[in-house]
Amino acid sequence: MIQLHNVSLAYQKDATALNGINLRIEKGEFVFLTGPSGAGKTTLLRLLYGALAPTRGQVLIDGQNVSRMSPAQIPLLRRSIGVVFQDFKLLSTRTVFENVSITLEVLGWGRADIGKKVMHTLKQMGMESKINLTPQRLSGGEQQRVALARALVNDPKILLADEPTGNLDDANKNQILNIFKEANVRGTTVVVATHDRRLIEHGHKRLITLSKGEIVEQMEKEAGSGESA
Amino acid sequence: MNRWKKKPAPASQPNKRPTLAGEGFGGRLGYFIGRSLSNIRQNIFVNVVTIGTITLALLIVSLFLLVFVNLENAAENWSERVQVTAYFDRELSPQEQTALRGRIAAIPGASRVSYVSRDEAFKRFKSRLRGQETLLEGVRPEVLPTSFEISMKRASRDTQSVEAFVTALKRLPGIGEVQYGEEWVRRFNTFLNFMRLLGALLGSFLVVAVVFIVSNTIKLTIYARRDELEVMALVGATRFFIKAPFLVEGIIQGGAGALLAMGLLLALYEGFLHNTGNFLTFNPATAGLSFLPIEYVYAIVLAGLALGFVGSLTSLKRFINV
Repeated sequence: MIQLHNVSLAYQKDATALNGINLRIEKGEFVFLTGPSGAGKTTLLRLLYGALAPTRGQVLIDGQNVSRMSPAQIPLLRRSIGVVFQDFKLLSTRTVFENVSITLEVLGWGRADIGKKVMHTLKQMGMESKINLTPQRLSGGEQQRVALARALVNDPKILLADEPTGNLDDANKNQILNIFKEANVRGTTVVVATHDRRLIEHGHKRLITLSKGEIVEQMEKEAGSGESA
Repeated sequence: MNRWKKKPAPASQPNKRPTLAGEGFGGRLGYFIGRSLSNIRQNIFVNVVTIGTITLALLIVSLFLLVFVNLENAAENWSERVQVTAYFDRELSPQEQTALRGRIAAIPGASRVSYVSRDEAFKRFKSRLRGQETLLEGVRPEVLPTSFEISMKRASRDTQSVEAFVTALKRLPGIGEVQYGEEWVRRFNTFLNFMRLLGALLGSFLVVAVVFIVSNTIKLTIYARRDELEVMALVGATRFFIKAPFLVEGIIQGGAGALLAMGLLLALYEGFLHNTGNFLTFNPATAGLSFLPIEYVYAIVLAGLALGFVGSLTSLKRFINV
């Protein structure tokens, strides 16, 4: 599903954000990316949804080479990838419903279908009673659930999350984690970048640790043993 | 959006293929127009600011145009006074009149040739001295000269054409003294050229300023909504799909601004401009300032639409790079 071959990225000549990353994530996996700030977690995620191109190496999503995609192909890639952020990135002038329906409007869905699908997804997030509110009137956890609804409403193949619980309390963290798990059960490949130990302990299946732009450790929970890279 | 509450969808049907919204260009256009209308509603403040800026900018330009067009009209009226008079110290016979009139009218530049007899000249003289008729006691029409008054065609009222005309006129046999107020014609033409130059300069400065202010206002309003561009790109919208509602919004803003500007201009005109024009024309026969010709109004509305569209287009280029 996701393959990185010897991927390096330098923002400036001597500021390397990623260095020689080799990584393979299979369909249906649930992966945590962790490591200190500046380790390259966000950069890695940005490579996966085509917001950055690597300086060297190949990024393949579903067999397609993202690093060689034209600007016109990137939007099509993103339609199969949901992304959520620490700061949610919700549109403050639009209601919860409208924030989630954007994803389907972009796909060209008709009004009736959008209505059904958005309601269905918001119900899964427990947000169906707040569809007419604007994001400012929601708590942080609620805002992140709306952002997740926006990312998941078109059943993406991949869900990327960048510090999704950075602004949330424990109760909300668990709720968000459960949503990730449910999406994963339905077949979505989930990649979560976080340095929140608690989240990792409660949910991790595979853990990849980055430091200074390199993968320093990989662990699988089921196997119960470490696997160095 | 309350209707979604009343009719919740059956819980399990996520993966059915959805029917698409209006297919093809027409359906998409409908979506984009709807999207921009709700954008305007949701971002009412920035839209009011943008439309207000466009309105004021176009109002200033159109006020300038109104004044300029009226000055040009006034200049046209003043130039009616460019007139050449050929004097004779005797009364011409009707045959002589007809022959000379024909030859004068044949000189390029002449528009109307009229003969002023001694009696006619005396009548004018008398009317100028109304109230002081006693001055004319003992004066008889015979002391006054007869004359041909020749008015010039519109295109031949500049100094050189008038001088060329007078030279040709003097060559005709039987023509004696010719007067045409050369000093006045020269000064009038200098003034006219100066006015046109000033108008062109001021006009181009105004247009540059308006384009600058409006495009920067639009840039700021789009900058204020860059998160929207970012989110759209994130969920896989193509560049065109992101841009289109903003472009439609720009066109609506430009059109609304232009129409408002024209409405305000008309209100100003009806309110007090239309009867303040006599100082320009020095002519009680003209009623005052006239409103902009309808072609100018169309042009300003078109300019507003273009301003909104191009302003949005160039601003979007800067911000779509997610």
